[in-house]
Amino acid sequence: MSKRKPPEPPEPPEPTAPESAAATATAPEPTAPTATAPELAAPKAAAPARVPAHPRRRPEEHDHRPLRIAHLYPSLLNVAGDGGNLMAIQRRAEWRGIPVEVTAVEKGETPKFRKFDVVLFHGGQDVEMAVAAEDFAKKAPSLREAVDEGVLIFAVCAGLQLLGHRYISNAGEEMLGAGILDLETRGGPQRFMQHAACKVTIDGSTETVVGFENHSGLTELGPGCEAFGIVVAGAGNNGKDGLEGARSGNVFATYLHGPVLPKNPWLTDRLIEIAVSRAEGAPFTLAPLDDELECRAHDVALAKAMANRGRRTALEPAKLVRGRKTG
Amino acid sequence: MSSPTRRRQTGAAKSLTFRTFLALAAGKTAARATQLAGRGGGTAITGMVARRVDPKILEKLVLDRGEPVVAITGSNGKTTTARFTAALLRGEGVIVSHNSAGANLVQGVTSLAVSYADLRGRLPKGVLVVEIDEGALPRVAPELAPRALLVTDLFRDQLDRFGEIYAVADAIESVADALPPDAALIVNADDPMVATLASEREGIRVTFGLELDRSTDEITRAADTIRCPRCRADLTYRHVYLSHMGDYKCAGCGFERPRLDVAVTSLEVVGLDRTRCEIRTPSASLAIEIPQSGVHIAYDAAAAIAILVGLDVPLEHAVESLASVGPAFGRLEKIEADGRSIVLAFAKNPTSYNTTLRALATEGEPRQLLIAASNTLVDGEDFGWLWDVDFESMAPKVERAVVSGTRADELANRLKYAGLSPRKMIVVEDRCDALEAALHGLPAERRLVVLSGYTPLIELRNEMRHRGWTGRYWDV
Repeated sequence: MSKRKPPEPPEPPEPTAPESAAATATAPEPTAPTATAPELAAPKAAAPARVPAHPRRRPEEHDHRPLRIAHLYPSLLNVAGDGGNLMAIQRRAEWRGIPVEVTAVEKGETPKFRKFDVVLFHGGQDVEMAVAAEDFAKKAPSLREAVDEGVLIFAVCAGLQLLGHRYISNAGEEMLGAGILDLETRGGPQRFMQHAACKVTIDGSTETVVGFENHSGLTELGPGCEAFGIVVAGAGNNGKDGLEGARSGNVFATYLHGPVLPKNPWLTDRLIEIAVSRAEGAPFTLAPLDDELECRAHDVALAKAMANRGRRTALEPAKLVRGRKTG
Repeated sequence: MSSPTRRRQTGAAKSLTFRTFLALAAGKTAARATQLAGRGGGTAITGMVARRVDPKILEKLVLDRGEPVVAITGSNGKTTTARFTAALLRGEGVIVSHNSAGANLVQGVTSLAVSYADLRGRLPKGVLVVEIDEGALPRVAPELAPRALLVTDLFRDQLDRFGEIYAVADAIESVADALPPDAALIVNADDPMVATLASEREGIRVTFGLELDRSTDEITRAADTIRCPRCRADLTYRHVYLSHMGDYKCAGCGFERPRLDVAVTSLEVVGLDRTRCEIRTPSASLAIEIPQSGVHIAYDAAAAIAILVGLDVPLEHAVESLASVGPAFGRLEKIEADGRSIVLAFAKNPTSYNTTLRALATEGEPRQLLIAASNTLVDGEDFGWLWDVDFESMAPKVERAVVSGTRADELANRLKYAGLSPRKMIVVEDRCDALEAALHGLPAERRLVVLSGYTPLIELRNEMRHRGWTGRYWDV
């Protein structure tokens, strides 16, 4: 298989002063701009409390219009910490001086998705996914319209499955998806639960993306879309073809939880660049950040994925994978 | 149960074989060796070794003795509820054995039986109170045949081990369905999914919950069941008490919180130290004061009382019994460390984290923090749930954080995105070094708050014991 490669932060267009991230116990508190206390309001659903702008906000950064993010079903599809993906995009944009507006889109709400720059569509448990699928049919036309206009979509797990044509459960029930990605999913006999890694190429640069898989659906890609990544460790879409997730234009879909974006800053930054470039109609490159903690989280997860390759890490998971009879 | 007897040992069961005695001896030796080596209480190793020698040892020791077993399962509150239950039973003159150290997988439960049994395979007379991991329940329950089964609550915990919360509920339901009619099922009615467990059963079924005229929480992203377990429509809450637990009703099918047999009718949480509550039982109303803090403590106390109701044991001394139950190890446990104060707080999933953080916030804590997470068999492999914890509310209070454990990487990154400046964080993976670093920089007027998952907490606590600051965790 492919060799392990240490992750590189994005090529810096210009050097910036490094922060003393997680350095020593005696590091003095900086007197320079300190972060103000974030809002204390308890987070409702998956919408996180606002954080302050990054203290190293660069004054020369030109003014951006807000990056508008639609967060699909935050209270329905909220398992496994995928809300961290929103935090990663939001903070990393804000730390570069790009304001962010987050709109939670719940069941029964159908906004015009083309008015957003980013749509996040996360994973959920089977029951919640079924509830979402029923509602999602009403959202699908608006979402297809947004895809045609190049809006960036980032989907995880159930989100990936519902962007495809259909999901056929073990019991033979069929859930229709939006048909935005040329893929189809069938319920599988086992659940893949393990650290996983894949090689992802965006705009000619390739990096190893790490995360945690937790799915039993088996996905096959059609000719109309490519894979999100090539499996390095883990099961990927179906445990067979070595493909992970799906991509078509600005639609990215993966099985990787983790959450995946906070520990893959390279990927997060590419997604932000794609969204901002499209919104502003001109190519845009993000200034690099001090990603010491992010890269450390990436490296530890990658080491675990490589060490567990081909082995299931969970304890007796097979006995508990049947779904609860509902409805 | 009506005439609790003081005879210490019951006769050995007929099914004991030479293999069983060998297993007993091996398990006990392993426990002793582990303790002598200073590696902990031997709370899991005993059972692991004994089962290796005789895989059927647990049922051989427990099943045929004809004494009641109380099984406590669910996501949160098992250890504290087991302690309350043991105290209540002892207060009424019943002899009790229980796995107080919280080792609740199949090995841990076996350890309990092995360590309480003598070398002839006889367990002490009286009730065996056992906390059982919700994932291990289907495997352990048939070996114990419980007279009472309590389900505390169901939250998503370690999805990497259990798959989905619905699968866990299914597994518990199958255990509940298999209970004989004279066994009692005790359920938390405030938790929608738990409230529906075996709701049609013919045997004894006792419900408990809170009946307050105000909310003590709001629905957050850590909530798991806010849809109707019957028809999947959204639930509406008259009051929310703790995460998704509360007084709910389904607009779709009319399903609502069942009537409470045991209800907390008033509640006052006093700082980090005490909880006062009024608990209504079918026969009386009890004014309880417990030297532990939090809404969850009221739930645990009501749960324990509901167990006694289910077993038909009188509650004559309940007030005194509960008044003496301090925190289990690591449940906001206070430790004096050579003139400095440490608060040990155990947190293992979004709900237990948020509950603990809310309790700490009442005193402006945590300011000086040691926080740890490790991936182990008991703590799980996937730490994605850290992103569901409300660290955002904690971050502004923290002056300095030492981040430790084998998953310090994920934790530190999470805290950064919660708004805690990396300049305020030090990553020290090794637990002992982390404790040293945290205490070294501790200002005189501050206490150190330790927030940790199970395994690193035990490691840190053992280090504190070696320094002579506290006793053994399995003795608390």
